[in-house]
Amino acid sequence: MHPAGLAAAGTPRQPSKRRVPVSQPGMTDPHQLFDDTSSAQSRGYGAQRAPGGLGYPTASASPQSAFLGDPVSNMAMAYGSSLAAQGKELVDKNIDRFIPVTKLKYYFAVDTMYVGKKLGLLFFPYLHQDWEVQYQQDTPVAPRFDVNAPDLYIPAMAFITYVLVAGLALGTQDRFSPDLLGLQASSALAWLTLEVLAILLSLYLVTVNTDLTTIDLVAFLGYKYVGMIGGVLMGLLFGKVVYYLVLGWCCVSIFVFMIRTLRLKILAEAAAEGIPVRGARNQLRMYLTMAVAAAQPLLMYWLTFHLVR
Amino acid sequence: MAFTLYSLLQAALLCVNAIAVLHEERFLKNIGWGTDQGIGGFEEEPGIKSQLMNLIRSVRTVMRGKKKN
Repeated sequence: MHPAGLAAAGTPRQPSKRRVPVSQPGMTDPHQLFDDTSSAQSRGYGAQRAPGGLGYPTASASPQSAFLGDPVSNMAMAYGSSLAAQGKELVDKNIDRFIPVTKLKYYFAVDTMYVGKKLGLLFFPYLHQDWEVQYQQDTPVAPRFDVNAPDLYIPAMAFITYVLVAGLALGTQDRFSPDLLGLQASSALAWLTLEVLAILLSLYLVTVNTDLTTIDLVAFLGYKYVGMIGGVLMGLLFGKVVYYLVLGWCCVSIFVFMIRTLRLKILAEAAAEGIPVRGARNQLRMYLTMAVAAAQPLLMYWLTFHLVR
Repeated sequence: MAFTLYSLLQAALLCVNAIAVLHEERFLKNIGWGTDQGIGGFEEEPGIKSQLMNLIRSVRTVMRGKKKN
C-alpha cells in the first residue's frame, strides 16, 4: 500500500462493506464518500493513505488531520464497522440454509489414492466386487477411506476439464471463440440440472425410500465427464475412429458403474441379498435404474460428438 | 448447442404454469384425476398415478397460496 502509488492511480479503493455515507458539513465533493471510508479504515492501512492521497482538493487538506479526531468520524467508523460485522454475521448464519457447507466438506475429503482408484473404477468397473459403502456409526465413511463413496472432487474437476478440452477441440478446428467456452459450460450444466431434476422427479413418483441425497446424485451424474474427456482427447490425438472406440468403451463402463452403484441405493432390500427380485415394485425400480444408467452414454455422446470432426 | 441455463429456466416456468392452469372441476375430474378420487388406498404404497395427482395438487396449492395474500 504505497501512498505515492495510490496518489498516482487516483482511484479510491475500499472494501464494499464499509461504504458509509456520512455527510460532513461543508464538503459536497462526490469524492468525499470514498474519502470517508478510507479514513474509516485508516486503522487498517495506517494514516499514510488518508492525508490527501487521492487527488483531493487542497481546501480539505487541513481538515484531514482534524478528520480523524472528529467525533462524528469516530461515530461513523464505529457505525461502519458494526454494520460490517452484522452483515458478516448474517451471511454466515444464512449461508448454511442455501448451501450446506458442512455437508459439502464430506464430499471433498479425498486424497490421491482415492482419486486414482476411483478413476480406475470409472474406466474398468468389471472386476470390482464389493460396491457397498462402509458406514461408521450410521454415517457413511469419508471418500478418503472407502472407494465406493461418492465425492464431488472428481465431477467438479472433470467438468472444468471438459470445458477446457472442448475449447481445445474447437481451437484445433479453427472454430473457437471465447464465448463458446461459456456456452459449452452452461450447456453442460443445464443438461446436468435437467438430469438431476428428472431423476428426482422419477424417484418421487416411484416412491423409493432411499438415502440418495441430491448431492450424491450430482456426484454420480458428474462421473460421466471423465469418460467424455477421455474420448475427446483420444479423438483429437488419433482421429474419429479412436474417438468412437474410446467413447464406446467409456459408455459401457459408465453404464455398468451406474447400474452397480444405483442398484444398491435404489433397490436396497433386493440388492442386499444379491438376487433380482421379481416384484412389480422392484421391477419398476430396476427399470428406473436402467433408464438412469442408459441416459449417461446418450448424454456422453450428445455433449461430445460435435467436438470431434 | 443452444441448450442454456436460461432455456432450462424458461422450460421450468412454462411447465409449472401448465400444471397450475389445470382446472380442477372442468378438466381433472373429467379424466379421473381429481384429488378426491384418488386418495383412498392407504394399505399399500401409492402408485404412480396417485403420486402424480398429489404432485399436481401440491403445485397448484403452492401457486395459489402465493397469489391470494
